[in-house]
Amino acid sequence: MSATAARRPGPALGTMASVEGARVDFTRLRADRRRRLLEAMAAAGLDALVLGRPANALYASGARQLWTAGARPFGPGCVVVAATGRVHLLSTWDEGVPPELDHDELYGITWNPARVAASLRAIPGLAGAKRVGTDGLSPGFVPFLRGVAPDAVVVDGGPALRAARTVKTPDELACLATAVAVAEAALSALVEALHPGVTERQLLGRYAERVAELGTPTPPSDAVVCATPSSGPVTRHHQAGDRPIDPGQLVVLEPGALFAGYEGGIGRTWLVGAEPTSAQRALASRSRAAVDAVVAACRAGATGEALLSAATSTGETLGVGPVAYGLGLGVEAPLVAAGFGGATVLAAGTVLAVQAWVAEAGVGGFFEREVVVVGDDGPCRLSRYGHGPAGTR
Amino acid sequence: MTVGGVPIPDVADLAGMRRARHTKLADLLETAGLDALVLLGGGAVSYATGAANPGVDSGRAALLRPVAVVVRGERAPHLFTPYPEGAPPELPADHLHGPCYPELDEGVEAIGGWLAERLGPKARLAVDELTHALAGGLSGFEVTGAGAVMAAAKLCKTADELACIRTAQHINELAMTDVRPLLRPGVRQTELTARFLRRVFELGGATCAVDPIWQVMPASRAELPWTTHGDIAFPTPTTDRFLRDGDVIWIDAGITWEGYASDFGRTWLVGSDPTPTARQQAQCRRWREVVAAALACCRPGVTALELDRAAIAAHGGRRPWLEHFYLAHGVGTESAEMPLIGTDLGEEFDDQLVLRPGMVLVFEPVIWDEGAGGYRAEDLVAITDDGWAPLSDFPFDPFDGSP
Repeated sequence: MSATAARRPGPALGTMASVEGARVDFTRLRADRRRRLLEAMAAAGLDALVLGRPANALYASGARQLWTAGARPFGPGCVVVAATGRVHLLSTWDEGVPPELDHDELYGITWNPARVAASLRAIPGLAGAKRVGTDGLSPGFVPFLRGVAPDAVVVDGGPALRAARTVKTPDELACLATAVAVAEAALSALVEALHPGVTERQLLGRYAERVAELGTPTPPSDAVVCATPSSGPVTRHHQAGDRPIDPGQLVVLEPGALFAGYEGGIGRTWLVGAEPTSAQRALASRSRAAVDAVVAACRAGATGEALLSAATSTGETLGVGPVAYGLGLGVEAPLVAAGFGGATVLAAGTVLAVQAWVAEAGVGGFFEREVVVVGDDGPCRLSRYGHGPAGTR
Repeated sequence: MTVGGVPIPDVADLAGMRRARHTKLADLLETAGLDALVLLGGGAVSYATGAANPGVDSGRAALLRPVAVVVRGERAPHLFTPYPEGAPPELPADHLHGPCYPELDEGVEAIGGWLAERLGPKARLAVDELTHALAGGLSGFEVTGAGAVMAAAKLCKTADELACIRTAQHINELAMTDVRPLLRPGVRQTELTARFLRRVFELGGATCAVDPIWQVMPASRAELPWTTHGDIAFPTPTTDRFLRDGDVIWIDAGITWEGYASDFGRTWLVGSDPTPTARQQAQCRRWREVVAAALACCRPGVTALELDRAAIAAHGGRRPWLEHFYLAHGVGTESAEMPLIGTDLGEEFDDQLVLRPGMVLVFEPVIWDEGAGGYRAEDLVAITDDGWAPLSDFPFDPFDGSP
């Protein structure tokens, strides 16, 4: 039996390492990712990938790098060369860099484009590349790359990256399940802190505190709490406010968490300080019915169109927000929303966040999100939590 | 303490600030002969529209991007967003659009068609960044980079923008005040983050811009991670590492308020009654001497190179900052933006960079005393009409270090 033989996942949902090893075999996880990426590059005929997105650099290199909010401007943060199978990373130090990357595969931070070009020219196999895939573009990148790889054509690396990333390995699924469990723990903290008079800001603060306490200190989104009005028109907002929450308000709670870069999340709507009205129960039923219909449609071979049909099959209309989106190293393809992603075909092993928002003037809004693994025989839910006073059937 | 003749207000006039930014961009479009700016970068969208968007991880930010389009001659920007409620109240309803998701072909078709209809098929566009789908969708237009326009607009802040940065910094500092009492042996770095984030949000901070750094600094370089250049490795990410009595930690954190970033840096000691050694006190004193020397030069018309030289002279002829960073950087709707002072762009670059009223400088020298560790902090100032004004206000204790 090899040292890396798979154990059953069992209760292995903690965030810390044990003396016998990490709960997830990260060495195997990284090796699988690199192999998948090189296979996808070969299939796409790419000689090299130049990656700017932090999630793609993490996928390729396995390095734990500084988390910053928002999309990074495109630049060469990580380079993968097909001919050598090597991964080269923009990192001035080896802290957080896994042992399979040698020091000569790291290149340092610089503000000087000439030095960036020199670093890239020093990467074996890049200068002769004919087809270079990227995960973004800046207006000056194509002429810049000509100075590094004169014969290279720059093409979209997205299809190869999606081919590698979309279907998850068992180790990746374990990371995602852990992240969902952390999000559920944060949801529990939010529910405990929810009482009349508390503000959205205070709840957001409690959420951020809890996920950091659990060892996953980078919230994937600050849009976590939305108290919906019980009178007048209802819209969903994403910025926490200072207004004390009143008894009888429906409050959307949608915490997330990032474990080893993998994003989990859950969405629930809780009622504050009052018994649910029949109108609120009806709203909750509609939201749950819509989510359940979409979850049920999450099977291998289903199209984005099928998910959109499922989302309206219970009588709801599609809003602005996504019906479903991919989860892995953060949010990723596919994105299925009104007018978007209909042609997507789901593969078994894809992980999706599935969600529904329903609102009614004078009642409030109700939102739920579940995380599911697309399976050949149907969906498997990774998220598991009660549905609150209004949502319990 | 004025910028362009206007005192930095205690409270920013947000609507007036957004109007002034739009006017700047509109004028720059006119001058550059561009028909429109198409902006994808978070800081650029925030600058152009004033839209409040949640702070999110990079993957979500890329896929669910708000996009700004500034059309020459129009009185307001256009915002394409999945977060419509974050649009500022004065944005006309016909300038607020649904999301266009520029990662996806469907989204790019929609925005390409919209631009062609509005500006004609041969319009001159400037973009800050492209997705592959967007590059395809805009291939019929004349497309250039928006970097020069955005840099020109953002380089010098208005008094209201400076007030926003000062507010962001103040919230950041208040949250750090509440983290300080946790610095006892056994506390984990992630627990410091937990307290910090909670207080940031309670105090009115909008987003956390960067995973806060609480890096333990040893006495000698040999105990630090290997680096490509041999200089100090900083900043390295936070873990659940627990802190020990006497640990020296270098802190670096940033949040946003109304789209503007803060930047906090200090050196702290772990312990119930932390007492710096004489050498540690001297490091802090030297840090303050270096910043004081640079500040003594700070006024409009002075070059960045003069600041570099003053800082180096105050450190006995040695460069008092990290090889991969700078003596100072700007801050605005990005946590590090122009002006960059002391980078590896070289002396010629710094010699051509002339200080102007409204520029923001975050001084972050590093004093390293091999064998006894080092001191690092960050202080923010704005260049004013006749000198500089502080935007940060945080004590140095347990160090004294008064120059």
